[in-house]
Amino acid sequence: MAVIETKDLSKHFGEVVAVDGIDLSIREGELMVILGPSGCGKTTLMRMIAGLEKPTGGDVMIGGEIVTDLPPRVRPIAMVFQSYALYPHMTVFNNIAFPLKAHGGFSKEEMKEKVEWAASILDIQHLLSRKPRELSGGERQRVALSRALAKEPGVLLLDEPLSNLDAKLRASARDELQRFQRRLGITTIFVTHDQIEALGMGDRIVVMSQGKIVQVGTPKEVYHDSANTFVATFLGSPGMNILEMDDFLVGFRPEQFILKIGAEIEDQIKTFSFRVNRVEYLGADQLLYGVIEGYSKDYYVVAKFSSESPNDISANNTYEFVVRRDQLRFFDKDNGLRIEPRSF
Amino acid sequence: MQENAVFDSPRKFDFRYITDNARFLGWLFLLPAVLYIVLLIGVPFVLAIAFSLADVTVGDTTLDFVGLQNYSRIMQTPEFWQSLKDSFGFAITAQIITLVLANILAVILSSDFRGKWFALVLIMLPWSTPIALGAVGWLWLLDSKFSPIDWVLRYVGLLGDPNSLLGAPKNLYYLGKAQLAQASIIMVYVWRMLPLSAVILLAGLTSIPQDLLDQAEVDGSSFWRTLFQIKLPLILPIMIIALLFSFIYTVGDMAVVYVLTRGGPVYYTHVLPTWAFIKGIESGALAEGAAIALFIFPVLLAAAIVILRYSRRTEVV
Repeated sequence: MAVIETKDLSKHFGEVVAVDGIDLSIREGELMVILGPSGCGKTTLMRMIAGLEKPTGGDVMIGGEIVTDLPPRVRPIAMVFQSYALYPHMTVFNNIAFPLKAHGGFSKEEMKEKVEWAASILDIQHLLSRKPRELSGGERQRVALSRALAKEPGVLLLDEPLSNLDAKLRASARDELQRFQRRLGITTIFVTHDQIEALGMGDRIVVMSQGKIVQVGTPKEVYHDSANTFVATFLGSPGMNILEMDDFLVGFRPEQFILKIGAEIEDQIKTFSFRVNRVEYLGADQLLYGVIEGYSKDYYVVAKFSSESPNDISANNTYEFVVRRDQLRFFDKDNGLRIEPRSF
Repeated sequence: MQENAVFDSPRKFDFRYITDNARFLGWLFLLPAVLYIVLLIGVPFVLAIAFSLADVTVGDTTLDFVGLQNYSRIMQTPEFWQSLKDSFGFAITAQIITLVLANILAVILSSDFRGKWFALVLIMLPWSTPIALGAVGWLWLLDSKFSPIDWVLRYVGLLGDPNSLLGAPKNLYYLGKAQLAQASIIMVYVWRMLPLSAVILLAGLTSIPQDLLDQAEVDGSSFWRTLFQIKLPLILPIMIIALLFSFIYTVGDMAVVYVLTRGGPVYYTHVLPTWAFIKGIESGALAEGAAIALFIFPVLLAAAIVILRYSRRTEVV
């Protein structure tokens, strides 16, 4: 059952089309990631679902009810902003209690109980009497999440909630956030521009570009069966290598572009002569930047090569590199859409 | 060891680099402000203290020490107590009214509407008018015979007829009756201070991050709850600064009262500055004038200290 649905949802800011006819449906209990580069309209889409932005066209449905014209306060949603937006003059307790007070109808005891329940889920009971400025980034994030949970919303909206954390904390926060979402089974929309967050956390991913949905699918689907060259090059670090042939495009991922060892079955692989220009050492991996030779023009590509490999690769040498044929992806030359495999 | 000679020789001051010398530049840039404060504020202030403890008059400017005689003499006059009462009465009442109106105005102006810029210009006008000129304008509006306000009231039938709400007389004589005159002066102060307070509060309101207001909306907060539990607490430090600035300005001002009523009727609208001016300059009793004027000083000092403490603590988020 779809908890959230949008029908032909659009938002124009003057001449600029921020969101362009989005049809989306999100299932009960699902963690849906909206992924896209900055300016692709993902935050605007979420703000329309929250009711903070009025759509120019189309409808939003939550729980089977059209809420397009309803203000945020009557929608069964809670939202965590990128900045966490904690009320700086209130204690953590009052921050978490604020949505309950605004909702009304709770006795003092009920309110205290609910706040303590929300705080206990994120393990911040000991912070209840502090002010936001006395908290670390990670603690603030937990407070913001507790506040979102306090009124037991049907849907949780998260707007880049990890991007204000430092890199080390981010990995553990990712893990914690996902476990927490699974445990509560709360339908969650997670907006991010970070593909690692998206791939690592999402049940499904919506990839957006220029106000439109480009692809919806599980992390594996969008990564391995990217719908077009935008998704293929946006996902992965680095993104897919794309070679422009005479009447089509062919792509392969840097980690699938490997040194030929000679044991391969010839008709299952495609062999390239790869001249390495530069080796970038990244600890576990090395990125090999270079040129594929032997075609009418030079193709600049990247290979991801394990640092543990017994083979030594150095710059300014040419090697035989291969890609398995079933890992090659073909795209239309004009519109970038995925097409059937070709031989070349 | 020949090379060390250059380090051992005494260093000469090089005028070519004088503008790179932070100490020199610091003094250079501070000097005008220091001179201004010492000559135009420090000297008169010390002089006023000296005068208030001596027997100087306009006719006899030799300083003969008389102790606190001037103070005890002015404290025996009813004019002084009325001035003291009015000084604080006017200032505090005007502040309360200004604060309420300025908050309403700032909340309206913080939303987007057509013609907002024009509204802002209109609202700032009273502040950009010289105070004496503004007061002269009000003198005409509140005139005993030709007041346009009375004219409008008569026209709509509220005045000038035995059965009308405000009575049979043709005029209300705003500045001729003690309470009406006091209310008029308070109103002019509000008119004068409202723009500044509103703009300071507006700046405070606009500095609240949009995220916080969006969050409040998502949290289900109503307009009034957001106003009283989020916006106003967040701009409280700024509000206190606006309040104190406007208080200091009002307490120290003599132009409005001097132009509108000259302290009248009788002495019911005198404030300390006008009473000091009339006593010290117009009647020539410099010593007593100085003593009267110095009564505001501790109050202003306290207000200034509070402002300085708050301005250091001002952080909206």
